[in-house]
Amino acid sequence: MKSRDGRSTIQRPLVAVVDDDESVRESLPDLLGEFGFDARVFPSAEEFLVSDSFGQSKCLVLDIAMPGMTGFQLQQELKARGQNIPIIFITAQKEEAVRKRALERGAVGFLLKPFSDAALLRALNTALGLG
Amino acid sequence: MVRIRPAWEGNPQPEEIGKRLRAWLENHPDKVSPPVRISFDERDIALVLLQLGLHGDMGIIVAGSERLDFPQQTERLVLHVAANQAAIGLQESRLLSEERRNSSDLKQRVAQRTMELATINDELNKAHAQIIQSEERWRSVFENSAIGVALTDLNGQFIAANPVYQKMLGYTEEELRQVRFLDITVEEDRNLNWVLIEELLEGKRPQFQIEKRYRRKNGSTVWVRNSVSVVPGTERVPRFLMALSEDVTERRLAEEALNETRSELAHMARVTTLNTLTASIAHEVNQPLSGIVTNASTCLRMLDANPPNLEGARETARRTIRDGTRASEVITRLRALFSKQNPSFEVFDLNDAVKEVAALSVSELQRNKVILRSDLAADLPCVSGDRIQIQQVIVNLLRNGSDAMSIVDDRPRELLIKTECDESGGVRLSVKDTGVGIAPQIEEKLFEAFHTTKGDGMGIGLSVSRSIMERHQGRLWAIRNEGPGATFIFAIPCSTNT
Repeated sequence: MKSRDGRSTIQRPLVAVVDDDESVRESLPDLLGEFGFDARVFPSAEEFLVSDSFGQSKCLVLDIAMPGMTGFQLQQELKARGQNIPIIFITAQKEEAVRKRALERGAVGFLLKPFSDAALLRALNTALGLG
Repeated sequence: MVRIRPAWEGNPQPEEIGKRLRAWLENHPDKVSPPVRISFDERDIALVLLQLGLHGDMGIIVAGSERLDFPQQTERLVLHVAANQAAIGLQESRLLSEERRNSSDLKQRVAQRTMELATINDELNKAHAQIIQSEERWRSVFENSAIGVALTDLNGQFIAANPVYQKMLGYTEEELRQVRFLDITVEEDRNLNWVLIEELLEGKRPQFQIEKRYRRKNGSTVWVRNSVSVVPGTERVPRFLMALSEDVTERRLAEEALNETRSELAHMARVTTLNTLTASIAHEVNQPLSGIVTNASTCLRMLDANPPNLEGARETARRTIRDGTRASEVITRLRALFSKQNPSFEVFDLNDAVKEVAALSVSELQRNKVILRSDLAADLPCVSGDRIQIQQVIVNLLRNGSDAMSIVDDRPRELLIKTECDESGGVRLSVKDTGVGIAPQIEEKLFEAFHTTKGDGMGIGLSVSRSIMERHQGRLWAIRNEGPGATFIFAIPCSTNT
């Protein structure tokens, strides 16, 4: 699938974004749309879990530090429920330990905020096996 | 000597007879020895005069008789014998009485002298006993003192050392007398020690305390706390130095361990704080930055599309601007957070504040071999401000000065803290060091946050100090000394001017 002309694509894969930061929730869907994805945003892990896009998302772009359930806890919860949805972590925490932990637990991508559009696209392609 | 025959009638008294005879003798001084006749109360009497002594100097015996043939041969012989006996008797008696007189005189003089001598001796004994008692008492104080006592001459050569002192250093008193105290002082401690001794000898200070290390005879090190003073000389004893010494090795070792732990902790705390701080700053700032980058990327893609999505591009550009503003607000909030604590103002004496800081810093300064002098103006007007914050600035300046001298070994490490009134009616405090000074290339950056020339420093001390001074309507600046080192000065208004 080519993203260049994403808007004309009929079957657009759904990407879910979970982040407590509003500017991310606001800006990422447009970029994802430019990449040719449908995007749904959630301000918390809890809201994502109870939403109807829970089973439909092909990829999850997930913040780590959030009030309530953290990104890592959501990752575990999904695993516990047998959901193997690929996860791309995005975080402002520049700590190697966090990165290591995320990748060890099976994340397909780990992006430090602020990240470039190219880095995000590479991670998405990896996640959806399009690379 | 006169004998009167009792049969003589008319009874003239012996005194009467003597008087008459003396009158006669005085008129006939030569009528001696041959018998003479005199008429006595119309009776003729034959007299014979016999000299007593060689020239009659002891007296004369007069014998008389109514018999005109007096004296006959036998009578003359008897009279001579009697005269001789009398002379001998008289002489003996005279000698004896003279002897007696002399002897009693001598005895009296001897007795008197003896008494005088006894008194003097008594006084001497008393004085001597007092001296001995005093000497014994002082000697006993010296010998039994619980802390070490050593006396040295003005070159530091030992004169005496008490048992505690000897034990502390492992040398006998005799061995100590062969050396100067600097010889057994650990080399790094010698300079500071000698500077203080010189000041003592020049009368710049009445006494001083120092904590320093001695090298024991067995090579080990002992930490001592010395209180040193000059003992003024007397006519017989020249000036000398006295040191009261206490072994503080255990305390020093404990302190050193504690300090190490403390400074490690402090460093960790600072690093941790800084890490936490930068992490939270990064988090706060990166959120809007992330939005900016995403929005700007999206904007470009929308513009690059064919046809360009202008409405979408405008929207993302607007969001970019909004997020930029948000990022800047985060920075403003952070700054507000850091400068949030308003100083609690009170009126206080800057000199008192300095003395407190000096008392708290002296141990650390001494550990760094730094001599702290102070020159605090009398009649300094009070200042108004946050006492703790001002003291923090003083601590920073002292530490800064001390750090600037940490690599100085060719001259004394001296800090001079001075307070004075300044020309604008305010109060000025300066800290002058003899350290490495200020290189021209860093002069501009001196008060910038995170600028440091110290390997282990954070570079926030001077910057924080300056902002504290500014909050007090004061100023903080630095000048190069004419000699080595730099002087950091702050000036703040006095309390009546604010």
